[in-house]
Amino acid sequence: MTRLLDVENLTLQFDTDEGRITAVDNVSFTLEAGEIMGLVGESGSGKSVTAKSVMKLNPSNAHYGPETKIILHLDSGPVDIMSLQQSKDLQVVRGGAISMIFQEPMASFAPAITIGDQMVEQLMIHTDMGKKRSKELSIEMLDRVGISDPSTRFGQYAFELSGGMRQRAMIAMALSTKPKLLIADEPTTALDVTIQAQVIDLMKDLVTEFGMGIIFITHDLGVIAQTADKVAVMYLGRLVEQGLVRDVIRTPAHPYTKGLLAALPSLDDLDAPLVAIPGDIPSPLERPGGCVFNTRCSDNLGARCGAEVPTESLLSSQHNVACHLYSEEAIK
Amino acid sequence: MLQFSRFVAIRATLAVFTLVLVSFIVFSLMEMVPGDCAERYLAFKSSQGAVITAADIQAERVRLGLDQPYVQRWGHWIVNAFQGEFGDSCILRLNIRQLIGPKFWLSLGLCLSALLLAYAIAIPVGILAATSKNATVNNGLRFVSYLGLALPNFLLALMIMLFSTLVFGNSLTGLFSKEFRDAAWSVDKFVDFLSHAWLPVFILGWSATAFAIQTVRALMSDEVGKLYVTAARARGVSGRRLLMRYPARHALSPIINSLGFDLNRIFNELPIVALILTLTEAGSLLIEALARSNDQQLAGAIIFLLTASIVGINFITDIILALTDPRIRRSIIG
Repeated sequence: MTRLLDVENLTLQFDTDEGRITAVDNVSFTLEAGEIMGLVGESGSGKSVTAKSVMKLNPSNAHYGPETKIILHLDSGPVDIMSLQQSKDLQVVRGGAISMIFQEPMASFAPAITIGDQMVEQLMIHTDMGKKRSKELSIEMLDRVGISDPSTRFGQYAFELSGGMRQRAMIAMALSTKPKLLIADEPTTALDVTIQAQVIDLMKDLVTEFGMGIIFITHDLGVIAQTADKVAVMYLGRLVEQGLVRDVIRTPAHPYTKGLLAALPSLDDLDAPLVAIPGDIPSPLERPGGCVFNTRCSDNLGARCGAEVPTESLLSSQHNVACHLYSEEAIK
Repeated sequence: MLQFSRFVAIRATLAVFTLVLVSFIVFSLMEMVPGDCAERYLAFKSSQGAVITAADIQAERVRLGLDQPYVQRWGHWIVNAFQGEFGDSCILRLNIRQLIGPKFWLSLGLCLSALLLAYAIAIPVGILAATSKNATVNNGLRFVSYLGLALPNFLLALMIMLFSTLVFGNSLTGLFSKEFRDAAWSVDKFVDFLSHAWLPVFILGWSATAFAIQTVRALMSDEVGKLYVTAARARGVSGRRLLMRYPARHALSPIINSLGFDLNRIFNELPIVALILTLTEAGSLLIEALARSNDQQLAGAIIFLLTASIVGINFITDIILALTDPRIRRSIIG
């Protein structure tokens, strides 16, 4: 396996009218080529913002912490993304080495520009192909993702396609430049369950074929279980647990991960009540001190959880958790 | 193409229908004014010293066709109105078409120029304001546009006239210099016209520009925040290309949509500005017709023409929208 992405100590704050809020707090993870990583958490946990940081796509009121380091390993050598300032410099990663698929395919295509024009535009920016060759490749990509009559679809607008077809077109566009990393921000949330499965299968096939890494953002642990190799669980801007999908889903360690898994409805036992995690995710303006989850945690140890930020404890070679329950003192 | 012609035909029919409806309202309003054209004219005559009897009034009514039923007279009026004929003025006894024709075109020209000026400034400035992160630029623009909204046109006109009189000894009133006022159109007259017309265009455009900047800025801010813009950035589109092709291109439709509304606003402000600058075009004539001489025939004609202009520009913007916005184009042309 070759290393594709290193994210170290990613901290991200936003200036808002109410003051500066912390959206991502000291998050580190790595991704290998050909690996799918699930990024899981409730809305507001900072998962989208984390993924967008890899392309520096956050709005202009975002401030990255001084320790933040994001390195993308390309064939031509490592790229230090934090050092790229101008949008011209960022072009290498935006749409070139990294592509992104968004949650709402309808809203992510410009309504008054044809699908084909948007695809050709991206190819013209990132490759030295001419207009004609770009068009051929775009139609070929639309065909590859299973869109019928691709040359007609090429000349159509997003509003003329069905939801599933739009997301396929989005995938075709994202993959047309053969990126090394694909960021998929809840790509199936807005789709019907049957189409969801098709799109996930399609993405998995294409990953194998293109050998790229994927960051798959979702709040659906069921989707992650089927799709990802490893998973990182986020809560209020912190990474609370990460590990191989098998380990995290079979033996979840963090009370938050346990809560998320318990909240999944089960089709085996229809009478079983749904177990919700008590309380709501706090406002980022009122981040709890100590462990960010202590206000909702059922295993709260008391003063320590409210005062001290838990460090990562290694449970096995690739499974770690940030929780005081697993610190050395607690285990003793 | 066939479908497009059908669309244009349907829109044109709707526009004509709107005008017929408007003409009914205008005609009814004219009728509701106490007294009729015959009485008004003879009252005017009487004030000039003539002796008028009830029989004279009745004879005048018959001569003007005022004894015919309401609907028949409306039908007659609207058929003529669509041909640009509005009969004679009640008081002046002159053909209205000859009386206001050139003045109406001048007014329309002034208003359209003001509209053009407003958007020529508002589109670049509004885009800049919506996308600039520079606080000084933003606050400056905000100040100027609030000033534009808050400062009434007539006050601005008076201020400019006062300034010009004090500094240049010329009050800048009227649309023509004395020697050209009654002359036939020529190159010299046109140049003279332009040297006068900039002021009313500027004053009319002043608040229209401020208003249009607010519109463009709001629409652009709205578009800039949309997901498709982020998605385009994520594909590596940047700089001017991103701005013009994505948010600006998509803010265009609602801007086109607002043109009719803006023309209406400018028209509403025209009479006051015209009065102050003593422009002898339709706006001030309208006030004169309504307030001073109670000339309903003339007032009706002017109101009808102004409404027709707005219906006309709405018809044109509908067609432009159908051509530029694929969401509309696809639904009507395919």
